Amino acid sequence: MIKTDHHAFVNQLLVYALVMISFTGSIGLGTVWMRNQIALTANSIKTLETRTAEVERHIAETTTMIASEQSPDELIRRNAEWRLGLVAPDFRTQIVRINENPEQRLAAKRNREIFAVDPAAARPVKFVMGGER
Amino acid sequence: MSKGFASNYRIVVLAAGIFLCFGGVGVRLLFLHVIDRDQLVRYIDKARRQVIEEKARRGDILDARGNVLATSHTLVVVGVDPQMLRKEDETKWPALASLLNLPLAELKKTFSTKTRPTQADDDSSDAEVDIRWAKLSEDITEKTYESITALGVKGVYGERTYRRAYPHNQLAAHVIGFVNKEGAPASGIEHFADFYLRGQDGWRESEKDGRQRELAQFRTREVPATDGYSVVLSIDSAIQHIVECELDELAKKYSPEKMTIIVSDPHTGFILAMGNYPTFNLNEYSKADLAAQRNIAVADMYEPGSTFKIVAASGALNDGLVTPESPRFDCSVDRIDYKGKTRGLPREDHHFAAPLNTAEIIGHSSNRGAAQLAMLLGDERFYNYARAFGFGQLTGFPVGGEIDGQMAPPARWDGLTITRMPMGQSVAATPIQMHMAMSVVASGGLLMRPQIIREVRDAKGERVYRFDGVSRSRAISEHTAETMAYLLMRVASSEGTAPEAAIPGFQVAGKTGTAQKLVPVMDSKGRTVLRYSEKDHVASFVGFFPASRPQIAITVIVDGADARCPGGVAYGAKVAAPSFKRIGEQLIQYLDIKPVTELRQPLLVMGGAKL
Repeated sequence: MIKTDHHAFVNQLLVYALVMISFTGSIGLGTVWMRNQIALTANSIKTLETRTAEVERHIAETTTMIASEQSPDELIRRNAEWRLGLVAPDFRTQIVRINENPEQRLAAKRNREIFAVDPAAARPVKFVMGGER
Repeated sequence: MSKGFASNYRIVVLAAGIFLCFGGVGVRLLFLHVIDRDQLVRYIDKARRQVIEEKARRGDILDARGNVLATSHTLVVVGVDPQMLRKEDETKWPALASLLNLPLAELKKTFSTKTRPTQADDDSSDAEVDIRWAKLSEDITEKTYESITALGVKGVYGERTYRRAYPHNQLAAHVIGFVNKEGAPASGIEHFADFYLRGQDGWRESEKDGRQRELAQFRTREVPATDGYSVVLSIDSAIQHIVECELDELAKKYSPEKMTIIVSDPHTGFILAMGNYPTFNLNEYSKADLAAQRNIAVADMYEPGSTFKIVAASGALNDGLVTPESPRFDCSVDRIDYKGKTRGLPREDHHFAAPLNTAEIIGHSSNRGAAQLAMLLGDERFYNYARAFGFGQLTGFPVGGEIDGQMAPPARWDGLTITRMPMGQSVAATPIQMHMAMSVVASGGLLMRPQIIREVRDAKGERVYRFDGVSRSRAISEHTAETMAYLLMRVASSEGTAPEAAIPGFQVAGKTGTAQKLVPVMDSKGRTVLRYSEKDHVASFVGFFPASRPQIAITVIVDGADARCPGGVAYGAKVAAPSFKRIGEQLIQYLDIKPVTELRQPLLVMGGAKL
């Protein structure tokens, strides 16, 4: 009986040891797996960061290029190169300033339309080139 | 009786073996984690730990309409480790040379130079060391670098670096300033607003592997970089371009020594354009000489000449000593009594047979008339008005190394100063001071601070701070300012000195200036003295429009244009006033400035009221 008890104790110890080893091993493997996942995630984040930085670099480069293309000197050069013929409007001949007050004219016209017996009496709006009248 | 599945002996041996193994691992762990810990941690720290700096992106400088005037982008510095070059890559060298924009011979020379002499003090030493890095080019764009990488030439690699780019080259160069290759802001807004622009570098602590690659999973502490703010200027690149084109035209026509043109909103003091000649390309600042980098508008002073007459006239009107029509001053006399002494009056360019009133003094730019107006005020009052107009003190313009000009207090005046200063001699002002003085009239009597920064935005484009116009003081009353504006309109009329500045349909107010320059000459005793030259002038026109509702103030100053002018004299009316007109006409279109017209009938008609 003593011998049997002794065996039982050893067997029990062995089982506990194996369970403990399995448990510890599982924890170890779990930890390794977890660390591996952390490393994978970290590397993935790093890759994304690198990619983001790369995109930002390209955006900055493109912004610079666009700004250069939009500079007045460059636009003038392109205008000549592509023979677009774009010019600023001539100050004296192409811009007509209407000095008359438009609200007043429109209000008067509206009043005439409302009160005039003969609708034909309502004078149409007439602007004179160069503001002369 | 079962003996179980193992004998006693074997079980004990197995158990002992397992415990021994565990014990061994435990002991090793004890050594690693407790006994040798400090030594190992030191080693790992040295070998694997690293602090990576994360550079903050410098903010952009934008114009008033959001156009990028200065920005940061990466460039790649490409170099070669000649020790790592492979024979089989030699066929790729021509393509590489083409991408790097280098002659093939130069590339081959760099590649074949594998050692260099040691830089030992001992000249006799002929030892050589291996070259591990030879620079090939430092201005490679990302796109080109991708092509270079795709070639796959072993040993050729690049390092990225932030560089400042100025897409508009020389546009507003003196205002924007530049960041040098070391990354230090050297001048202009780059220097002044560096606090906003530079941002805050970040860093992170992590570990690296044997190939120097970061082990991202071992990142511990991390402080992200904060990108710099963007600074929005009041400069409008279209207006600045108009100004710089005008400077180019003037330079071609007159070949002057230097010029400056300033355009601003007189009510707020915000500068819309500031151009100087000579100028330089911001992307090639190292090639420009220092004279070209000088912001003449704020760092140079000149005798303002007749443009300064607005001070005496404004002062006399403001104090109620005169009205535009009366009294009349005899401008034909060449001497006058003042404070019990007879003073010589300056020469006139024209003879005025009849006495002139204040309106005519301004319209005809009478030197003697201006002197008599100043004498009416007296030394102290005249000096105080000049100070009130901002002369002899800094305007507060933030960039360009502003100087305060020269204006001596009355205690240091000689007997002639009261007759000369009102016509703009014996006083030196910067172009920005003269511009702001004229803006006093345009703004209704307020001396504004010239400003260049409109707002500050964060990296996401959200407004952080907005600057508004700042009034420094009131120089003259609103009524006096209106009267002066009316008087200055005469200057740009057929009756005045500068009909060339008139813009048809618009009320232009302004003042011409043709200031003689002080040049060193030898006197009869062989000493070098400064005398007013008959051949060297500073031509200027300072004005604004529309006079009754000022929207734009423009200053044109051309220095040393005499050689190519008819008669050898660069008159303000002939050189600067036409420029004012040309710029003004373009601004009318660009800013849609409407002519001031009186409403002939009230808007009551809208409500059906009787007209």
